[in-house]
Amino acid sequence: MFLEIKDLSVKIENKNILKSLNLNINKGEVHAIMGPNGSGKSTLANVLAGKEDYEILNGRINFKDNNLFDLNIEERAQEGMFLAFQYPVEIPGVNITPFLHSAINSKRKRMSEEEIDNLSFAKLLKSKASDLGINIDMLKRSVNTGFSGGEKKRYEILQMSILNPDLAILDETDSGLDIDALKIVTDGVNKLKTKDNSFLIITHYQKLLDYIKPDYVHVMVNGSIVKSGGYEIAAEIEKDGFQKFQ
Amino acid sequence: MNIQDNYLKNKKNIFFSENKDIQTHREKLINIFENDRFDKKNNESLKNINLKNFIDFNYKYLIPEETSVINNNHENSYSIVSVNGQCSSFKDDKIEITKILDEDYNDFSKNDTIENNDHFVNLNSLFLNSGFKIVIKKNNNIKIRISNIITDDDLTIFQKNNYICEDGSSLNLIEEYENKNNSTSNILNVIKLEKNSQINHFLIQDNSPNHNLIITTHSSCKKDSTYIQKVYNFSEGYVRNFHYSELIEANSEADLQGIFFLKDNNTSNNKTFVKHLAEDCKSNQVYKGILKDRSKATYFSNTHVDQVAQKTEGYQLSKGILLSDNASYFSKPELKIYADDVKCSHGSTIGPIDENAIFYLRSRGMSKIAATKILISSFINEELNSIDNEQMSEIIQKKLVRYLSKVK
Ligand SMILES: Nc1ncnc2c1ncn2[C@@H]1O[C@H](COP(=O)(O)OP(=O)(O)O)[C@@H](O)[C@H]1O
Ligand SMILES: [Mg+2]
Repeated sequence: MFLEIKDLSVKIENKNILKSLNLNINKGEVHAIMGPNGSGKSTLANVLAGKEDYEILNGRINFKDNNLFDLNIEERAQEGMFLAFQYPVEIPGVNITPFLHSAINSKRKRMSEEEIDNLSFAKLLKSKASDLGINIDMLKRSVNTGFSGGEKKRYEILQMSILNPDLAILDETDSGLDIDALKIVTDGVNKLKTKDNSFLIITHYQKLLDYIKPDYVHVMVNGSIVKSGGYEIAAEIEKDGFQKFQ
Repeated sequence: MNIQDNYLKNKKNIFFSENKDIQTHREKLINIFENDRFDKKNNESLKNINLKNFIDFNYKYLIPEETSVINNNHENSYSIVSVNGQCSSFKDDKIEITKILDEDYNDFSKNDTIENNDHFVNLNSLFLNSGFKIVIKKNNNIKIRISNIITDDDLTIFQKNNYICEDGSSLNLIEEYENKNNSTSNILNVIKLEKNSQINHFLIQDNSPNHNLIITTHSSCKKDSTYIQKVYNFSEGYVRNFHYSELIEANSEADLQGIFFLKDNNTSNNKTFVKHLAEDCKSNQVYKGILKDRSKATYFSNTHVDQVAQKTEGYQLSKGILLSDNASYFSKPELKIYADDVKCSHGSTIGPIDENAIFYLRSRGMSKIAATKILISSFINEELNSIDNEQMSEIIQKKLVRYLSKVK
C-alpha cells in the first residue's frame, strides 16, 4: 500500500477533530475528499504533512513503507509528499527562486540524486512557470508576499511541478480561482500525473473534479469518512449538498 | 572605590583636571554619584544594568606609545587607527584631525544637554582620558574609516570625539570596534552637521564577552542636513548604544538604525532621544534584534516634537525575533507632540519566529535549521541590502554567517 491511514484520531486544543479515520491510496490513484467547512479536511492534510500542533490520539499512517510518524516535516517532503496549502503563508524577504532551488536539492540529496545547478534550475523554473501562465517577474518576488489569492494557488502548483512529488495533497486549490485559472492549474496537475504518483484532492465543489477525474471520492463529515465511492458521489453532492451525509 | 577617591587618585591621567572651571563642574558631578541621587524609576540609562559595576571600577589608562596612523589612501579617503582612544593630529586642505589639547577644553568639557539624564555621560565627563576632533572642511566629500584598538587588559577608556561637518560637505564614516581584551570603553561622540551637509555613520561592533562598550552619540543638524547612523552589533560583550539627536534647523533629517545579534547572557541597551526643534524635519528609527539563549535587549525611544516643528515626520519601529523562551526584548517608544501638523507613528513587533512560515518552508523539504536561518536572514534583508558599500556588506555578511552558525 502507498498511503494507508488506519483509525486515525486527532485532537487540537482539547477538541477532537479527526475520529477513527480510515483511508487507503494506491500508487497511480487520484482520490478526492469532499466535506463541509470545519469537517477536518485541512487537519488531515496538515497531519499528513507533519504539522506539529496536533495531538495524535490513536491510529497509524504508513507512507511508502515508512511509519509516517517516524519522519519529520522535511523528511516527509523529501520522501515525496507535497501539500498545496489552502492558505499559503506569506514570507517577506525570502526569495522564491533560491528557496525552491534549495528545496529541490534537499530532496535530491535524500534520494542520492545529483544536485541541480543554478543554471539548469533557472531553466526548469522558467519553463514550468510559463506552462502555468506565471509571469517571470513573479519569480523575483518574496514567497507569496503580496500575491493575490489566485497567484498564491498557481504558485503552489508551480512548486508542486518543480518538486514532482509521489503524493500530492491539494487543499482547496480551486478556491479563489476563476475558471481560466482553474483550467491552467488542473492542466498542470494532469500533466504531472503518472501511474507512479498519487493525488489527494480536497475540495468542496464538484467543478475541480470535472477537470481532474478522480478514481475515488470520499465524503468527510465531522472528522470521519462517511461514504466512499466513484465520481457519481461528487455529482450527488453538487445536486443535494452534504445534508444527507450529516 | 568611590568615585571621588577614584578621581583624585587618577587625576594626573585625566584631561583638564587642572582647569578651575572644569574642576568645579566635576565636583558637582561627583556629588551626584556620591549621594546616590539616581532616580532609577524614570531614568532609562539605569534600567537593566548593574550601575554599581560601572561606578565601582578600577581606573586604568595607558597613553599609547605610538598613537594613530592616518593614511590618505586614495583621494578623499582616510583610514585612522585609534589606539586607546587617541589619535595623532593631521591636516590637509579637506580635513583637520586634532587630538584633545588643553586650549580647546571648552569643546570637550561641556556636555550640558545630556549630562543631567545620563550617568554614563557623566562618567565620561569625569574621567575623560582620550579623544579627538575631526573637522570636514566646506564642500568636501570625505570617507573615513576608524579602527578602534585597545592595547592592554583592564583599561578603562573615557573618550570624547567631536565631529564637525561644515557647509555642503559629506562624510562617510565607518567605525569598527573589535576588542578582544577585558576592558571598558565609554565613548561620547558629539557630531555637528552644518548647513546642507550629510554624514553616513556606520558602526560595526564585534567585541569579545569581556569588553564593555558604551557609545553615546549626540548629533545636531542644521538646515538641510542629514545624519544617518547604522549600528551593526555582533558583540558578545555588553553594548550600550544611546543616541541624542537634535534637529535644530529646518528641513534636516536624522535616520537611526540599529541591528543587534545577541546570544548567551549578553545585553544590548538602546535608547534614542530625538528632538524636533524646527519645521519640515524628518526622523526615522528602526531597531531590530535577533535574540538567542538568555540574551536581553531594550529600546527606549523618545521623539519630542516642539510646537514650532510643523510638518514634522517622525517614525519609530522596533522588531525582534526571540529564538528562545528566555530571551527578551523590551521596547518602549514614546512620542511627545506639541505641534499640530505632524505625521508620526510608532510600531513594535517582537516575538518568536513565525511557526507557520517554518512549517511552510519545511514542508518543501528544507531542514528546520535551514528554514530558521533563512527566516532570520529575511528579517534583516532590507537593512542588509541597503548597504551600498561592498566591502562593508561583505564584513557584515561574514559576521551574520558566524552568528547563524550558532543557531540550532
Ligand atoms: N488551531 C486550531 N485550534 C482549535 N481548533 C482548530 C484549529 N484548527 C482547526 N480547528 C478546528 O477544527 C475543525 C476542523 O478544521 P479544518 O480541518 O480546517 O476543517 P476544513 O478544512 O474541513 O474546513 C474546525 O472546527 C476548526 O475550527
Ligand atoms: Mg480547510
